[in-house]
Amino acid sequence: MAYSIAYKMLGDRQDAEDATQEAFMSCYRRLATFRSESLFSTWMFRLTVSAAADVRRREARRRAAGTVAANEPVRETRDSTDGGSLAAALAELPPDYRVPTVLRDVYGLAYQEIADVTGRPLGTVKVMVHRGRASLRLRLRSMGLVPHAYKKRGEV
Amino acid sequence: MECSYCRGQVNRYLDGELGYVEVAELQAHLDLCVECAAELVELGALRSALAQWGTVEEVPAPDLVARVVAAVEAETAGRRSSTYERSPDGILATVDHLLGRVVLPGGREVPVRKIIGWGIAAAAVVIGIERRHGRRDRELKTS
Repeated sequence: MAYSIAYKMLGDRQDAEDATQEAFMSCYRRLATFRSESLFSTWMFRLTVSAAADVRRREARRRAAGTVAANEPVRETRDSTDGGSLAAALAELPPDYRVPTVLRDVYGLAYQEIADVTGRPLGTVKVMVHRGRASLRLRLRSMGLVPHAYKKRGEV
Repeated sequence: MECSYCRGQVNRYLDGELGYVEVAELQAHLDLCVECAAELVELGALRSALAQWGTVEEVPAPDLVARVVAAVEAETAGRRSSTYERSPDGILATVDHLLGRVVLPGGREVPVRKIIGWGIAAAAVVIGIERRHGRRDRELKTS
């Protein structure tokens, strides 16, 4: 669902709701331009990712302007245990790393697609994903979590 | 191969960007360097976990669908009512007038705007299913 995609990208429920709404508004406005050679779900996925990226840029500008600095919400912790540690580790990533890393490794977008949707150069996107992965690995380690495969290898 | 360079190559390997010779060079370094070998295995496991996490549905607020439908309806009203007189009570009636009504089996009449709302909700569900099954899943080879 659009909300899931937006939430995983943005890590904030309010932002994800805004992005979901914008994605469907965008869907409504552009319905006439939808070409039937692509899957509707693929098209809608792109609209959602684009809407979430827009929300992310807008939020970044607002924060840069200091308009929400006083009442910035506390980062929420996940109540679900499914993927809870991953979500917690992702929540600590700077958004500049989080968004491209989620698009690449959670949703499998090509780097060029991520560059297009985030409006950043291809090389920058790659660096951000590489750093995002490295940072996630270290954060998971600091939580005492080491991937099972590594444990087995370490025993050899 | 320097470890700092190797870390970049590990990422490129995971992304399927390395050629045969580069993979062989990387392998030669990993055979000697436990730290870089651990990096590859852990990042590979991390990517698998992230892909798996992508199939977990997040639960939105119960009223999100209703709010989205209302927003689209408001957009519809804003667009269509420009040639019609707008009044607080008359907008939805105007929308219904413009879009018409559909008679369901059983004789019940439903405004088209409601059908559109249901369609959007259904599309949301379909997208969830599509993303769950449609992701390209690349398995990594660890050594």
